[in-house]
Amino acid sequence: MIRINLTLACFICSIVGLALIYLAALSLQPIKVDLDEISFDLVGRSVTSEGKIVYKKVHSAGHLFLTLEAQGSKIQVPIFAGLMNRLREKGMTEKNFSVGDRLVITGLVSEYKGQLQIIPRKVEDIRLNHVP
Amino acid sequence: MFLETLIFCLAGIGIGIFAGIVPGMHVNTLLPSLLFLGMVFKFQPYSLAVLIVSTAITEIFVNFISSIFIGAPEADTALSVLPGHRLLLEGRGYEAIKLTVIGGIGALIATLFLISFFAQTFKILYKISRPWVHWLIIGAVIFMIASEKETRKIISASLIILLSGFLGIITLNSSLVNQQNVLFPVLTGLFGLPTLIVSISQRASIPKQARDESLKISNKEIVKSIILGSIAGIIVGFLPAIGISEAATMVQYLGGRGEARSFLVTLSGINVGNEVFSLISLFLVGNPRSGASVAIQRILSELTFWDVLYLIGVICFSAGIAGILTLFLGKRIPKYLEKVNYRVLCSAVIIFMLATIFALTGIFGLLITFTSTSIGLLCNYLGIKRSHCMGVLLVPTILFFANLNPIILSTLRI
Repeated sequence: MIRINLTLACFICSIVGLALIYLAALSLQPIKVDLDEISFDLVGRSVTSEGKIVYKKVHSAGHLFLTLEAQGSKIQVPIFAGLMNRLREKGMTEKNFSVGDRLVITGLVSEYKGQLQIIPRKVEDIRLNHVP
Repeated sequence: MFLETLIFCLAGIGIGIFAGIVPGMHVNTLLPSLLFLGMVFKFQPYSLAVLIVSTAITEIFVNFISSIFIGAPEADTALSVLPGHRLLLEGRGYEAIKLTVIGGIGALIATLFLISFFAQTFKILYKISRPWVHWLIIGAVIFMIASEKETRKIISASLIILLSGFLGIITLNSSLVNQQNVLFPVLTGLFGLPTLIVSISQRASIPKQARDESLKISNKEIVKSIILGSIAGIIVGFLPAIGISEAATMVQYLGGRGEARSFLVTLSGINVGNEVFSLISLFLVGNPRSGASVAIQRILSELTFWDVLYLIGVICFSAGIAGILTLFLGKRIPKYLEKVNYRVLCSAVIIFMLATIFALTGIFGLLITFTSTSIGLLCNYLGIKRSHCMGVLLVPTILFFANLNPIILSTLRI
């Protein structure tokens, strides 16, 4: 009987805990920062930033690698194949991203080979403004 | 040059012991400080590389002490808590540590042997295997669930994988807790704390530890475990996003490494094999595959064949010393543990872990710990293996490789 009660208590705690974590994650907004404010201190944090595309490379595996520039700072934005596939389904291909376009990006700041990156994870993380 | 190498190697071993013993401390956490020290004191690039390599290798060996004796795991040793703790409570704590050292040293030799023979094939293997990774992991998950045999347990195992998988998706994809520290509350809750709580509730005590140093495992089994661990370690090294814990879980089920002793040898082998391959991968596949190898790449930029040989020498020396020190500590620590009230010790460790989690990850870290501990304890009360909790890493990895992450995250709006 005690075992059944403990099992039930653990199950309820797991569900309540997961629900609270999920709600907290939902309510947490990414930090809005200028590109030049992104430093190694922000690694592992979710941010939203904006910049001009100054470099674009399409990888054979389907990834798209961009470099954004603003306020004299540059940061890499890798859009991995999984997300590119989703973007294509929404009618946005590699061709839509042109050097000179402005991009508002949300994602996790990470470090790769000593360089800072913002990694977008879903379609809503990418907002593209074409420069005419 | 030789004296300088020796000094930096010994300093790295000292730092590695500290990182290995203190719960929540990892070589990656120390890397920024080491790089900063190198900049301030103007260390030679090779000296700094030696410091990092010896720290990384030593930490792997010593980390088993905290995971086995006090149930405080790192991501890479989380699965050692259960078999290691079991042996400790059987009075065979030293044997558990000895097995991890044998596994580590054996895997070092086996990995160097394998790498020297198959160096050219890694790039090809990498390309071929990548599209199939998620199927491999799905297969392992199905095996994990099916291994429970009874219908009730199969349903329970599926529930645990779902709960831990959902926990992994939310915590690994949100910025509730800094992503660099997020695995600490998650794995401490799933594996560390339940072990301690159950020990307290069952009024467990550390029995008098066996004085004999014999191993209750055959030499054949040790060799098999080392080879399997080395191969799995190399696979972890060159396949992105497959971590040591995922590989250990797969080996545990697919390779039949379920027995505590052989599993400890295999897990240690995977850890060392992975670290050795990760450091050499800069030269082999031109890609850093661990925090330490990223730092090495930053310091030395291009690695020549002779640089690799030099680093292998450092790895071998550090592993040898770290192995001896781990055995020394592994013999002394259980003797102290015998004398203390184990329930008080477990309670003190729980308080210390919660305080560390709060300091590193704040209130959300504690919430994650509460949830993951509930899931870990649920395994206990359902009478199923706690390794099903590895769903926390396996499910997000499957989603990533199946390119489903963007869909799931959009649906969940996180």
